[in-house]
Amino acid sequence: MSASLDFYLTQMKTAIVVQFQYRVANYFYMIGMIAEPVVYLVVWTTVARAQGGTVGGYTAEAFAAYYIVWTLVRNMNIVLTPYAWENRIRQGDLAAELIRPLHPFHFDLAYFAGWKFVAIVMWLPIAVALALIFKPALDPTAGEAAAFVVALWGGFFVRFGLLWALGLVTFFTTRVSAVFELYFTAELLLSGRLAPISLMPQWVQGLVNFLPFKWAFGFPIEVLIGQLTPAQIVTGLLAQAAWSLFGVGLVWLLWRPSLRRFAAVGG
Amino acid sequence: MNYLRLAWLYLRVGVLNELQYRANFFVQLFQSLLALGTGLVVLGLVFGHTNELGGWSRAELLAVMGVHILMGGLIRTMIQPNMERLMGDVQRGTLDYALTKPADAQVLVSVREVRIWQSVDVLMGLLVLAAAVLQLQGRFGIWQALGFLAALALGGLMIYSLWLMVTTGAFWVVRMENILELFEGIYHAGRWPVGIYPDWLRTGLTFLVPVAFAVTVPAEAITGRLTAQTLIGAAALTAVMMTAARMVWKFGLRNYTGASA
Amino acid sequence: MLISNTTAIHVRDLRKTYIVPEREGGLKAALRSLVQRKSREVRAVDGITFEVSRGEVVGFLGPNGAGKTTTLKMLSGLLYPTGGEVSVLGHTPSRRENDFLRQITLVMGQRNQLVWDIPAIDSFDLNRAIYRLPAADYRRMRDELIELLDLQELMRKPVRNLSLGERMKVEMAAAMLHRPQVLFLDEPTIGLDVTMQRRIRAFVAEYNRRSGATVLLTSHYMADVEALCRRVIVIHHGKLLYDGDLGGLVERFTAHKTIEVTLGSNAVDLSSYGEVVAQDGERATLRVLKAETSRITARLLADLPVTDLVVEDPPIDDVIEHVFTQEMIR
Repeated sequence: MSASLDFYLTQMKTAIVVQFQYRVANYFYMIGMIAEPVVYLVVWTTVARAQGGTVGGYTAEAFAAYYIVWTLVRNMNIVLTPYAWENRIRQGDLAAELIRPLHPFHFDLAYFAGWKFVAIVMWLPIAVALALIFKPALDPTAGEAAAFVVALWGGFFVRFGLLWALGLVTFFTTRVSAVFELYFTAELLLSGRLAPISLMPQWVQGLVNFLPFKWAFGFPIEVLIGQLTPAQIVTGLLAQAAWSLFGVGLVWLLWRPSLRRFAAVGG
Repeated sequence: MNYLRLAWLYLRVGVLNELQYRANFFVQLFQSLLALGTGLVVLGLVFGHTNELGGWSRAELLAVMGVHILMGGLIRTMIQPNMERLMGDVQRGTLDYALTKPADAQVLVSVREVRIWQSVDVLMGLLVLAAAVLQLQGRFGIWQALGFLAALALGGLMIYSLWLMVTTGAFWVVRMENILELFEGIYHAGRWPVGIYPDWLRTGLTFLVPVAFAVTVPAEAITGRLTAQTLIGAAALTAVMMTAARMVWKFGLRNYTGASA
Repeated sequence: MLISNTTAIHVRDLRKTYIVPEREGGLKAALRSLVQRKSREVRAVDGITFEVSRGEVVGFLGPNGAGKTTTLKMLSGLLYPTGGEVSVLGHTPSRRENDFLRQITLVMGQRNQLVWDIPAIDSFDLNRAIYRLPAADYRRMRDELIELLDLQELMRKPVRNLSLGERMKVEMAAAMLHRPQVLFLDEPTIGLDVTMQRRIRAFVAEYNRRSGATVLLTSHYMADVEALCRRVIVIHHGKLLYDGDLGGLVERFTAHKTIEVTLGSNAVDLSSYGEVVAQDGERATLRVLKAETSRITARLLADLPVTDLVVEDPPIDDVIEHVFTQEMIR
C-alpha cells in the first residue's frame, strides 16, 4: 500500500504541530535522558584519568564529544515502541489504522519523522549547555558532517523498521515483554550506547558488525567525532541501507500473518 | 491509630491482591536478571580497563551495585506506587476518599499501595551484596551490618521525603508525570559511588537529590568506609527532610481542591 | 459467484469463530494452566446470509454480543471470516485492497479517528492526503459537508476542545470526505443528546439521498432505526433471526397488542380483561393477545364507562426485547 509524498509531507507537518504543542513534556523527557550519558561520561573519564589520560583511544574530551553526540543520536533513535501494539489491539485503535487505504507503517514513519525535526531543534540548546559544561573535542570535516546527517537519519530508519517489525510479535504471543526486554538489553550492550565500541573486547567489536544495533547508534556518533576513515563511513552507510531493507522486508513478510492473527476485541 | 498496624494491613491486602498475578513474578524476575546481567557486564567492562574507580575496588563497586539494586527495589515496591497513585488522585480529584478516612492522610497515602513483585530486586540486591561481602574479605561484623541497615533506612526515608515533596507539587501544577521520569534518570547516577562525580554534581546529588545518601552511604557501611560523621550527617539530613516534607504536605493539603472544579 | 452490479453487499453463510482460553481461579488451576490449555469455541457469527443492494439503508439490530459489530468488521475488512463468502462492491474485504478501502468508510460511535490536538480542518487535510483526493474534489466535498452539518464555527478549533456532539459531527464529516459508496456506521449516535442524534440521522439520510451510497447501521436506539432504515436485519447469538422491513418485524414477532383505555372513573380493577401494564388514575394500558383484541375491546366498551380507547402495536423496543428472549425463530 503505497503512500504519496503528499501524505508524508502532510503527516510530518501534523506531527510537528502536535509535538510543538507538547514541547514542555518533550523537554522534560529530553532532560531526564541526559542523566544516563552524563553518568557514563563521568565513569569513563574517571577511568581515563586513572590510566594516564586515555582509555581505548578516547581522552576525556573525546568521551565528552562522544556522549554529547550520543544525546542527539539517542533522540533520533526513539521510535514506535513495540509495546504500542498491545495498546493498539486492546483499545481498538487498530480498527482506525486498518480502515485507511494506507499501510500503518507509512503512517507511523511519517509521524515520527516529523517529530524528529522538533526533537532536533529542541536538542540544540541542550547540546550547547552540555558543550559548555563538558568541553568536548569535536571538529568534524564538512564531509564528516554531511555523512553524519545521512547516518543520523539512517540510524533512525534502521531502528524504526526493526522495532516496528518486532512489535508485530504482539499478535502472536501475550508474553511479549520477555522478547522485547531481551532485544533492548542486547541493544544496550552492543550498540555503543553504554560505551564506545572500541572499548569492548575484540571479539565483541567483531560481533557487533553483524548485528544491527551498532549501525543505528554507535556508527553515526563515530562518523561525527572523526573516528572513521572515508572507506569505513561508506561501508557503514551501506550497512545501514542493508539493515533498513531487512527491517522493511520483515514488516512486509509479517504484516499479513499478523492481521490474520488479529482478533478484534469487543462484540 | 497505630500507624505500623495500618501499614501492615495495607501490605497484607496488597500482597494478597498481587499474588493472583503469578505471571508478574516471572516477568519481574526475568527483567531483574537482565538488569543484573547488564550491571555485571558493565562492571566487567570498566574493570577490563582499570583496577580501581575513584578509589573503589571491583568488589567494592559490586557492593555499590548491590545497594543500588536493593534500594531501587525498595523504592519501586513501596515508595513509587504510592506517589504515582497520589499524583493520579490529585489529577482526578479522587484524593477526597483518602482524606475522609480516620487516619493521618500523609501516612495513608504513603502506605496504601505496594507492588510486591518489585521486591524481587530487594532479594537480588541482597544476593549481590552477599557476593560482594564474600569477595571483600574485610571485617564485616555486627557494626557494619547495623551501620548498613541504619544508612539504608535513613536513605530510604530521605528518598521518600523528596518524592513526597515533589508529588505534593501536583497540588499546584497538575501535570507532573514527567518529573517522575527525571527521578528515574537521576537515580541512575546512584549506580556509581558519588565520589567520582565533579563537585558541583556531587552536591546536587547529595543534597538536592539524596541519591548519595541512599546508595553510596550504605555501600560505605558495607565496605567499611563509613564514618560516624557521615552517619550523623545522614540522620540530621533525614530529620530535616522529613520535617520539610511534612510541612509541604500540610501546606499542599490546605490548598487542595478537587481537580475537577 | 454471480453478483449483479446493483448488489453492494453479498454475504453467504458467513462465520466467525473465536477460540477463547478458559481459566478458573485458584492456585491449582493456575499451575494446571501452565501445562494444559483449556479453551472453548465462541461462535460470534454463525452462518448468516443476506444481500444488500446499492442505496439501501439497512439497520442491524441485536443485543450486545450478538455478532453485529463482528459482522460489520468482517464487511469492512478488519476481520478475517472463519467461513462463508463475503463480497462488498465486488471486492473481498479481507484482502484490504486500496481500491476497496477508498470506497468504504467506518464510523464508530464515541471513537476518535481525528487528531486530537489540531484543528479539525487540518485533520481533514490529512484525510485528503491519505485518500489521495484531487484538490478541487476535496474542497467541494469538504465545503458541502461543512454546510450539511453546520460546521463553520468548529473547523478552526482543536478537536479536543469540541463537545461530544460537535466531535461526532466532525468525525462524520471527515469520514465522508472521500465520497464513500458504502457506509458502515457502528452506534453512531451513542452518547449524544437528542438534538444531535436527530442531526446525525438527518445527515445520513441526506447523504444517502444525494450520493446513493449504501448504509449499514447498527444501533441500540430504535429511533435511529425507525428514522433511517426501511429494512432491518436482526442478529442474535450470531444467527440471523429476521430480514425484512420494520413493520413486518413487529407484525411477526408480537403476539400481543396494547389497549389504552380512558375511563370515566378511576381505580377500577381491570385484571380480568388482560395484563395491566400501567394504570394511572383514569388511564390504563392493557396487554392482550392479538387474537383476543376485538373480543376484549367489545367487553370493555360494554362493561365500563369508557371515554377513550386506542388499540396499538406494542412499542418496538418491547418487540425487540421479546424477540431476543425467545429461541431462534424460523
